[in-house]
Amino acid sequence: MEWVAALLFVTVVLVLLAGFPVAFTLGGTALIFAGIGILGGTFNEALLLGLPNRVFGIMSNETLVAVPLFVFMGVTLERARIAEELLETLSALFGAVRGGLGVSVTLVGMLLAASTGIVGATVVTMGLLSLPTMLKRGYSPEIATGTICASGTLGQIIPPSIILVMLGDVMTTAYQQAQLEMGTFSPKTVSVGDLFAGALLPGLLLVLLYVAYILAVALFRPQLMPAHEQAAGERVSIVRVLRALAPPLVLILAVLGSILAGLATPTEAAGVGGMGALLLALLRRALNLARLRDIMRSTLRISSMVFLILIGASIFSLVFRGYGGDDGVRAVLEALPGGVLGAVVVVMLVMFLLGFVLDFIEITFVVVPIVGPVLLAMGLDPVWLGIMIALNLQTSFLTPPFGFALFYLRGVAPPAVTTAHIYRGAIPFVVIQLFALLLIAAFPDLVTWLPQKIYGS
Amino acid sequence: MGPSGHGNAIDRFSAAVGKAAAWLTLFMVVFTFVIVILRYVFDLGFIWLQESIIWMHAAVFMMGAAYTLQQEEHVRVDVFYRNMSARRRAWVDLAGVLFFLLPLCVFLAWNSVDFVLQSWRIGEGSREPGGLPYPLLPLLKTIILLMPVTVALQGLSLFLRSLAVVRRR
Repeated sequence: MEWVAALLFVTVVLVLLAGFPVAFTLGGTALIFAGIGILGGTFNEALLLGLPNRVFGIMSNETLVAVPLFVFMGVTLERARIAEELLETLSALFGAVRGGLGVSVTLVGMLLAASTGIVGATVVTMGLLSLPTMLKRGYSPEIATGTICASGTLGQIIPPSIILVMLGDVMTTAYQQAQLEMGTFSPKTVSVGDLFAGALLPGLLLVLLYVAYILAVALFRPQLMPAHEQAAGERVSIVRVLRALAPPLVLILAVLGSILAGLATPTEAAGVGGMGALLLALLRRALNLARLRDIMRSTLRISSMVFLILIGASIFSLVFRGYGGDDGVRAVLEALPGGVLGAVVVVMLVMFLLGFVLDFIEITFVVVPIVGPVLLAMGLDPVWLGIMIALNLQTSFLTPPFGFALFYLRGVAPPAVTTAHIYRGAIPFVVIQLFALLLIAAFPDLVTWLPQKIYGS
Repeated sequence: MGPSGHGNAIDRFSAAVGKAAAWLTLFMVVFTFVIVILRYVFDLGFIWLQESIIWMHAAVFMMGAAYTLQQEEHVRVDVFYRNMSARRRAWVDLAGVLFFLLPLCVFLAWNSVDFVLQSWRIGEGSREPGGLPYPLLPLLKTIILLMPVTVALQGLSLFLRSLAVVRRR
């Protein structure tokens, strides 16, 4: 009955395109498939009876508690206008240098990475904050939009992103399952901390490549990004720079550092980060009851959105497995020419294409649990695989014509910026992404070196 | 008509529940902070405090689900939806509620009744010594029943609203 599982997958993707909320579409479609199977005697209904227990398992998952805490921190930093001030200060600081504004946007994207991690949110924030300024200062629309889209997606790969928390949780399970199947008696584990450590160097590498590209354009095509003539009053004092830069930087470094140093679990660090963000907002007098309510409600809605998808996805997985879908996927992947390499390439291609319609959360919860155990059982490193997936999806979100990031920016861009501008602007960054992806595929040490250094094994 | 405008009774109920549950996010942050201080400064740890954060987390996303639906924040794949007319969107929502949301909620609620009752019947407590005391775990499991009920109600509201759009000439 594996073809039913395949049909279920294809049906879900097609039905999702209609636009009904993902969480309910995933679970609902799977349920209909299960229902038909039960009536026809091809689906074991006992499988569905464990559903409340699975939901309870999601409710009591300790790793994922870090998600709402990180979201709380991010929303607080955003509502306290800390990102805005950071961008203003950095662009005032570097604005006089050719390409300086572009570099500032990239750096803020990197720092903001900590906070959101939901693709749309970062791109929209960055678009609203920096696109008007960049255009006003004579940046070509292509360069401006490309920089913003690319920087906006950095939030997924640079720790501590909530995407990596979710991916880490899924990878933990997948890795256990893979080792169980391989008959390993003392299974090794992979944690969210491992993924954070693994993502750090590739993330910084991307930032470096982005900055190098922007500076190269500034050097060779100066008319595309003129330097900004600063009036005397616009000069920023070092005190102002420190005041804008230090608090969020210290907060993010403390959160990340304590996780990487093994001092705190991601959940603990996220809680302390949330508290720190609140204190920061208080110190800036940017916190009152109305804003606090707003922060709490936003956090709740984002959490609920994420975890309902997880519940929907777990119903989907249950039915997909019930029809033998995981055996089918294994058979297909193992039969591919080229062994592990062939399997990885195919999985990456499929995920890249799925990235055009599905968000990171859905792919993490729906696709990774299916393909993860098979690939890991072929002997791949779980941290490397996780980072490859993250980087691959980030590229997918940037790729015209379907990339998510491009759509989100289109939504907040002024009419003078055309869709063609946005597409053309994204292409150089897609090339950079592909280059980074190849680099990490060729030199896995870029990913695995740091986690091994920190956590041993 | 915006999702928060012209709220009917269901919308108001969902929003009230969600907004109340939202306070738990603040408590989660504060409690986690307290746990860290207690552990690293005073070398103290309380299992019940740890557990309380997990349970608050669960209550947040389960009890906030209906409110999130009301606020239109359950993510959609909007490649096509974005460009649809209001009428066509309403059709999508009508069908979605009817074929996906309601069956899913009914199934989950119906299925979890035994699961929840069982927990109350045996007076289930925390598996960890020093964990949260008796009525809390069954209470938490009851949320598995409450989530689909509240989401189904909010789904009904979405259904009625969409029906009104479809019928409008």
